[in-house]
Amino acid sequence: MFVDMHSHSVSSDDSRATVEQYLKWIQVLRKRGHQVDGIVLTEHRKFDAHEDYSSLSSKYGVTVLKGSELDTRYGHFLVYGVNSKLLSAFEFSDVTLDAAELVKYAKDVGAIAIPAHPGRFGIGFCEYIDSGPDFSTIETVEYLNGGSRTGENERGQELADRRGFAGTGGSDAHFVSAIATCLTDFSQTIRNEQELVEAIYTKRFRPVRLEETTT
Amino acid sequence: MTAQDVNFDRSQLGVGYPGGTFVVDKDDLLRYCKATGESDPLCNDEEAAKAAGHPALLAPPTYCANFVRSLGRPDIKLNFGRIGFHAGESIDIHAPIYAGDTLTATTGLKDVYTKTGRSGTMVFVVWETSFSNQDGQKVADVQESHVRRE
Amino acid sequence: MTRYYEDVELGDEIGPLEKIATDQSVSDFCDVWGNTGPSRFTDNESAQAEGLAGAIVPGIMSMSYMAQLLTQWTEGGSIKKLDVVFRQLVSHNSPLRLIGVVTDMNQVDGENQVECDLYLQNEQGDRMVGGQAILLLAIKG
Repeated sequence: MFVDMHSHSVSSDDSRATVEQYLKWIQVLRKRGHQVDGIVLTEHRKFDAHEDYSSLSSKYGVTVLKGSELDTRYGHFLVYGVNSKLLSAFEFSDVTLDAAELVKYAKDVGAIAIPAHPGRFGIGFCEYIDSGPDFSTIETVEYLNGGSRTGENERGQELADRRGFAGTGGSDAHFVSAIATCLTDFSQTIRNEQELVEAIYTKRFRPVRLEETTT
Repeated sequence: MTAQDVNFDRSQLGVGYPGGTFVVDKDDLLRYCKATGESDPLCNDEEAAKAAGHPALLAPPTYCANFVRSLGRPDIKLNFGRIGFHAGESIDIHAPIYAGDTLTATTGLKDVYTKTGRSGTMVFVVWETSFSNQDGQKVADVQESHVRRE
Repeated sequence: MTRYYEDVELGDEIGPLEKIATDQSVSDFCDVWGNTGPSRFTDNESAQAEGLAGAIVPGIMSMSYMAQLLTQWTEGGSIKKLDVVFRQLVSHNSPLRLIGVVTDMNQVDGENQVECDLYLQNEQGDRMVGGQAILLLAIKG
């Protein structure tokens, strides 16, 4: 199952795409012969707990899941399986969150936080992994990010390969036509956020570019 | 750090101010077109514009953004960062703007928020401005976002 | 020639439009803009004093290029909304490429709306400015 693990809708301050526009665009991609099965909305510094995309999901035949992308003092992190415990424990709008605490607590409450675009300058995990905190529980990072600049994906990949991290793929889309440029190829079907978290912990997936999904 | 931690005059949020009056000068329009390489005859040739049913030279669609820099705005006393940049701009176009029009602006502070990026922690300041012409017709709404970096 | 709503499909490409913001054109733009005198836009030393590599193109000048891409493509239509994000600083005297793609179409309140994504790219293909627009087109007959 091909899932875009990193995308932003108009709910994020810097995105210009609605969820429905993303799903319409996925129909264009499917007509072109690509396979896109799901997207995860990882809005900046927030979690839209009350948004229900199930009818859009049914209408367009695309699984739509919700997560978050949080700014922390150790770079940006993608959080999947966001739940009330996590929301109570952390102020998602705080750009100086302690990522080490976030990663540990997320795991304790059935969620998962992974470094986003680890090779990105200034806000990538590469710059912080050896800065002191205990990040030993991190086993997965975002390996392919569709919004990274030249050299940034490669920098993150070098870290991931050296440390033996599993890697996901996500578009980091902020505009409609950027959705699904990078995805994660899961070996299992994922229907909800809990199954997504479980799938990430299995590490049975690989990052892919859209071109690799041609049917 | 959240938006709550940013020091600025919060009493300015949502308050509208008269932003000033601006005349759409024909010569300025032509110089703008030359500088930007705008070749549309409706914006460069008054006869062509009138032949197409316009009352005068047509201003290019984003022309009123030029006036935003000169708007009368209060100092929001933002205490963050050492350098600022234009982060984004949005224009909703409601009616054409022509040479000879007089535009009146009202402006106000919409939002202030924080985020982090490649250059570190940033504070974004968002302003909204409405332009109306001499007939009281709204011609454009402009929203600009400015970023302050450490 | 008029571009009609019925002739447009999702995924249609817009452009490209090629531009170069020369030192002179930026200076001329700043004169009209009222931003005269040495600045980060017109003078390399002023820009470097602010920590920039060199003089940069004003965001609203890049935005005007995007508007040109759209008005040329609409062929008689109009722009209803143009929304841009200035992702990276744009340098003078380097080739810029403006492109777009149609991402949505809706007939709303008597308007034939075409939405599109837009990008201003540098020579390396980096997307320096991103945008989204809503265009209004005529229908046939």
